Amino acid sequence: MAVTLHHYLVIGAILFGLGLVGFLARRNLILMFLCAEMMLQGVAINFVAFARYRGNLQGQAFVLFILTVAACEAAIALALILMLYRRQGSLDVSLWQELREPDLDPTEDEEPLPPPPKPEPAPHLPPAGKEPLHRKQEKSHV
Amino acid sequence: MLPSIDPGITNSLLEFLPELVLVLGIVLMLLLRLVGSFNRSHLGGFSLTIGVIALFVSLLQALGEPGLKSVLEAVSLAESSVGKTILSLAQTPPPAQSQSMMFGGMLIYDQFTIFLRILLYVILVLVILLTMTTGIPDAEDSADFYCLLLGGTLGMVLMAASAHLLMVFLAIEMASLPSYALAGFLKGRRQSSEAALKYVVYGGGAAGIMLYGISLLAGKFGTGYLPELSISLAAAFVPSAEGIPFDPILILATLFLLIGIAFKLAAVPFHFWCPDVFEGAAAEVAGFLSVASKAAALALLARLTMFVGGLDPLTLTEPAKELPYLSIIRYLVPTLAVFAAITATFGNLAAYLQTNLKRLLAYSTIAHAGYMMMALCTLTRNGVDAMLFYLVAYLFMNLGAFAVVAYLRNQTRSEDLADFRGLVRRSPIMVVTLSVFLLSLLGIPPLVGFAAKFQVFAALFNDGQRYFELGEKGIGTTLLVLLLVGGVNTVLSAFYYLKVMKVMILDPRVEDLEGQEAQRYPEPIGASLYTGVLAVLVLLLGILWGPLVTWSQRTVDRFRVTPGKDRSMLVASAADVEAGGAGGVGRAALPKGKGNVKGKGGFDKGKKQ
Repeated sequence: MAVTLHHYLVIGAILFGLGLVGFLARRNLILMFLCAEMMLQGVAINFVAFARYRGNLQGQAFVLFILTVAACEAAIALALILMLYRRQGSLDVSLWQELREPDLDPTEDEEPLPPPPKPEPAPHLPPAGKEPLHRKQEKSHV
Repeated sequence: MLPSIDPGITNSLLEFLPELVLVLGIVLMLLLRLVGSFNRSHLGGFSLTIGVIALFVSLLQALGEPGLKSVLEAVSLAESSVGKTILSLAQTPPPAQSQSMMFGGMLIYDQFTIFLRILLYVILVLVILLTMTTGIPDAEDSADFYCLLLGGTLGMVLMAASAHLLMVFLAIEMASLPSYALAGFLKGRRQSSEAALKYVVYGGGAAGIMLYGISLLAGKFGTGYLPELSISLAAAFVPSAEGIPFDPILILATLFLLIGIAFKLAAVPFHFWCPDVFEGAAAEVAGFLSVASKAAALALLARLTMFVGGLDPLTLTEPAKELPYLSIIRYLVPTLAVFAAITATFGNLAAYLQTNLKRLLAYSTIAHAGYMMMALCTLTRNGVDAMLFYLVAYLFMNLGAFAVVAYLRNQTRSEDLADFRGLVRRSPIMVVTLSVFLLSLLGIPPLVGFAAKFQVFAALFNDGQRYFELGEKGIGTTLLVLLLVGGVNTVLSAFYYLKVMKVMILDPRVEDLEGQEAQRYPEPIGASLYTGVLAVLVLLLGILWGPLVTWSQRTVDRFRVTPGKDRSMLVASAADVEAGGAGGVGRAALPKGKGNVKGKGGFDKGKKQ
C-alpha cells in the first residue's frame, strides 16, 4: 500500500488529539505541558507532510520555527513550574485556585490524588579508596 | 546557485527602524548590568528614552506619509513654524512609499502598520511612566521588567504588521511569552504566580490549537502568504450549481485560527484566563496587557478578516470579483457577530458581581473587546476606521483606570471594592479622575468614550444599510441586530461603572459615621499629574475628535495590498522547480496539485486517490 499524504495527516491529527485530550484531562503540571508539546508535534508532522506533498520548503521553515518557539515556551513554563513546586511542594494543578469568581467554591475532585511515593533513600556511595567491582561488559564499548 | 540578496532589504531595514531601536535597547539593557554603576540602578529612565526614541522615529516615518500629515493640516499646525520644522525634518530620511512588503513578504508596511506602531509605542511610553511613578518594579528587577515590556511591545507591533501565517504565529508568541513572565513578576505573591500559571497553561493550549489551524490552512493552499491565501480562499468558495461548496476542513482551520486570536483578545468562550490573570498580576502589568495586547490582537483580527473578506467588499464593483468574496462574507459576518455579541454581553453581566476592582475592570475590558469586534463585523473600511478610533480612546481611558487602581493600591494597600468606601474624602484627586475614566468607559457624551461608541454604532448602521442596498438582507439584519445589542450593552454597563462610583463617593465609612475627621492619604505629585493629564486627554479628545477621525480615515483609505503583487521570495516558483526533481515519499505516491497558488486541486485531489 502506498503511503499517501493522508496517512501523515491522520498521524498528525492523532498526535494533536491525544495532546489536546491529555492537556485538558491531566492534573500534573509537567504532564500538561508535555501534552501541549505533543500538540505542537502533531502540527509539525502536518507541516512536513504538506511540504513534501507540495514540493516546496515552506512547511519545513514553519517546523524549524515551531521547534524554536516550543523550546522558548518550555523554558518559561518549566521555570514557572519549578517556582510553583518550591512554594507548594506538589505538582498538582488543582492546588492553585485562589483566583476565582467571588461566589464560586473551589472545585474538588471526587477521587483525590494518590499519596506521593515515599522518597527513596539516597544511594549509598562506597567510601573513597575502595575500588568498585568492574564488570566485563563495561570494558568494551563496541 | 544562491539567489542574490534582495535589494529591497535596505528599504525594509529603514522601514523597520523603530523596531530595531527597541531591539538595540533590549540588548543594551541586558549588557548594562555588567557595568558596575548600572548594576543596581533603576533602568526606568533608560527604557523610557528607548521608548521615546522609537516613538519619535516612527512619528518621523509617519510624517513622510500622507496619513499624519493630513492631521497636521487639519489642526492647521502645518502653517505654524513648529509644524513647518516638523514637516521639513520628515522630508529627508524615510523612503516615502505608501505601502510595501518588508523582508520578502513577511511584514506589511502601510498606513495601518504605522498607525498601530505609533499607538503601541505611546502605550509603551505611558506604561513605563506609570511604573516609574508607582515603584513597581524596584531597582533590582527593573532591567528584567523593562526587557520583557519592550520585547512584548515588539511582538505586538509585529502582530499588527504580519502578512504571512508564519509571521502571525511568531508574532503572537513573541507578544505572549514576555506577557507570561510579566504576569508572574511579583514573585513573592502567591496570586501572581497563580496568574502566570493560568496564563501559560491557557496560552500554550491556544497556541497549539491555532497552529493546527494554520497548518491545515497553509497546507491546503500551499502558501501562508495572506494576499495569496485571500485569492485561494475566495476561489474555494465560488458558488457552483449545487450552491456554496461546504468544506469542513477549511471551516475547521479558520475556526482554529480564530480561536488563537480570540484567546489573545479574551473573546468570550476563551476569556477564562483574563479575570484571573488581571487580578493576580500587578495593576501596571494588567493595564499594559489590557490595552496593548488587545490592540495588537484586534489589529491582527482586522488584517485577517479584511484579507479573507476581500478588502472591503462594498467598494468592489465588478460582479465577477464580487461573488466569491460575498459567499465568504455570508459565513464570516454571522460568526464574528456571534462572538462579538456574546463577548460584550457576558463581559458586562459578569462585571456586576465582582468585588475586586481589578477583576471588575478585567470584565470591562472583555466587554470593550466585544464592542471593537462589533466594528470589525462589518468587514468594511468604515468598521476598521471605527475600531482604530475606539482603540485610541480605549487606550487613554482604560490605562487611566488601571493607573488609578495602581496608585490606590499604594495608598490603601488594597484592591477590594469594600475598602474603597468613602474614599472621596481621603483621596479626592484619584476618585475624581477615576470617575472621569469610568464615565468615559460607559460612554457619557462629553468624554472620548462616547465619540468612540458613536463611531462604532454609526459604522454598524451605515454598513447595515449598504448591505441592504446590495441585496444582502441577512448580513444587513445581522449588523442592525448587533447595533441593538451594543445599545443594550451600554445600558447594562452603566450598572457596574456607577456602582464603583457610588461606593467611592456616596457610601460612608465607619469612621465617617462616628464623626471622626477623615484622614487624607498622601497623593504623590507624580500620581496626580499622571492621572490628571490622562483625564484631561479623555475630555479633550471627546470634544475635539475631528483630527483623530481624519487620521484614522486616512489610515484605512490606503489599507489595501493588491493581491498577487509583491510575491514573496518564499513562494518563488524556482523553488518548486528545483524541489520537483527530488522525488520522495509524498511525491512518489501522490500527484502534485495544480501549481502552488490556486489550491483547488491539492488536498482534495489526494483524497480521491
